[in-house]
Amino acid sequence: MKSHLTLANGVRYAVILIAVIAALFPVAWMATMAFKPVAEWTTTVQDLTWLPKEPTFGNYEFIFFGTSDQLIVSLDRSATGPIFASLVTASLGTLIAVVAGTLGAYGVSRFGVGKNLPLGVLQLRLFPPLAVLIPVMIMWAFLGMIDTWWGLSLIYGIVTLPFAFWLMMTFFDEVPREIEEAALVEGCSPWRVFYRVTLPMVKAALATTILFVFILNWSDYVIALLLTRKDWVTIPVYMNALTSAMTGQMYGAKAALGLIAVIPPVILGIIIQKHLVRGLTFGALKQ
Amino acid sequence: MGTEAAAAVEGKAKPRTLDQQRKRLGLYMTLPAQLLLLFIVAFPLVMQLYVSLTLWSPLDGEDWYYAYKSFTWFYNYIDLVTNERLWDAIGRTVLIMAVVVPVEFLIGFGLATLFVDSFPGKRIFYSILIMPMMIVPAVAGYMFFMIFQSNGPLNQLLGIDTVWLGSPNLAMIAVMVADIWQWTPLMFLILLAGILGVPEDQLKAATLLGASWGQKFVRIVLPRMKTVIVIALVIRAVESFKLFDLMFIMTKGGPGVATETISVWIFKLTFNDLDWSYVAAIGLSILIALSVFAIIGLTVMARASKRMNADVVD
Repeated sequence: MKSHLTLANGVRYAVILIAVIAALFPVAWMATMAFKPVAEWTTTVQDLTWLPKEPTFGNYEFIFFGTSDQLIVSLDRSATGPIFASLVTASLGTLIAVVAGTLGAYGVSRFGVGKNLPLGVLQLRLFPPLAVLIPVMIMWAFLGMIDTWWGLSLIYGIVTLPFAFWLMMTFFDEVPREIEEAALVEGCSPWRVFYRVTLPMVKAALATTILFVFILNWSDYVIALLLTRKDWVTIPVYMNALTSAMTGQMYGAKAALGLIAVIPPVILGIIIQKHLVRGLTFGALKQ
Repeated sequence: MGTEAAAAVEGKAKPRTLDQQRKRLGLYMTLPAQLLLLFIVAFPLVMQLYVSLTLWSPLDGEDWYYAYKSFTWFYNYIDLVTNERLWDAIGRTVLIMAVVVPVEFLIGFGLATLFVDSFPGKRIFYSILIMPMMIVPAVAGYMFFMIFQSNGPLNQLLGIDTVWLGSPNLAMIAVMVADIWQWTPLMFLILLAGILGVPEDQLKAATLLGASWGQKFVRIVLPRMKTVIVIALVIRAVESFKLFDLMFIMTKGGPGVATETISVWIFKLTFNDLDWSYVAAIGLSILIALSVFAIIGLTVMARASKRMNADVVD
């Protein structure tokens, strides 16, 4: 019995180890690439090494200051703008989605109005964004919202509304209603009950929802690709531009920026690990 | 519920105003979400239908509302049905879906079974394994773009000099590998939650009765997980149909049009060919087709869950 158990454990560790290596392989390659000098960006297969032979911060110098002693080319824009744009639009988009989603979820959950909302917002998630791209682009152009922070934030808020709505809906459903009803009987107005009684009870849930929606907005590529041009391009769109006629793909610069883009969602994701299943299945499953 | 009952007992005057108060507050609270939904559904749909019935393009130099000048009824739609590039793109999209979703499911399920009971290092392994799905998809695309270069680390590891992204079939495989890498963690996560939701006392009882591991799995775990499995598969199927970021960054649909999925094709038509009325027709057709699938799917699922609930009651 004992030997059987250790054998099973050995197999388990072996399989998990393979999976862990597979999960880390691409990330590790990018992480080391971020610190490789230009000469090591592309080499022949024989000269390829995992760790940089001459580690350097040159790639970061290049994306933040636009020039580097190692490269003849220079950037007309540094990465600071796109990082700022990603932060601003992802945050404001999260604000819109969470405010509208939380209020809406409470309205549906407690007052039984807006019965169309649960399925209506879910439908938003079913359709590929590119299938509605023409009217959205025309509308955004008509309203002067192409390549603006408010235009991008607004569409982010709409696109992630389903997640915010459904997450808060399941959290509200878990709150015992007796406390709210007691407050109502005490003479509190329904709004005060929501604001002073229910909301404090779901504080942690609200924080989870905010982080989850922020990760989603931060991860977008296609929407920013369609609705921004220059001033408000986000990190992933800007990465596309890190190519030059002379050096081709600027692997090191892309990797350096990619590493910056990857760190916030991974950290936030680990923080809300416990609730990821709920978030990703629109509250259908709880962990 | 409770207040309604109370209202019936206490009489009408005051509780009714409270009910009215609540109803009105409910309307106010749902208003922002309703407006956002209306904003993104109503007007765009009407405009999409309108533009799709014309030959309008931004190159015409006229605003979209003058599109009626080139009104053609259903010309775009008729043209679509016979457009081989559309059907090829749909075929590729469905092929990718048919490969990645089952593979992700099987690997995810296999890994999930390893994480049921506790062992040293479980938490840290768990965190590492779910990390890929938190990576920004576009960045994942760049990672795999580097890895699949002919002078990249994968070829070095395997000791070959294959041109992955330059040949039609291999490019498809490369993108599928990237998708599987990124989204197997999601399957793993959902299915693990499902397995952990299987009541332990039933498993223990089965063990006492001498059931083997396989019997327990087929007789107890699988039936209990039906809903979870369906949810995981549906979510991944829907998302993989939308596949864009990875494909666009890794291959741009190339070489030629060999890896063009629906989304990538639409993108090219919009920005390279500027054929906007045609894109509107495609978009609307996709919306209608997906809605039909969704309605069928929901009906089937509602029926199945009714049957399943009946099973549980039995």
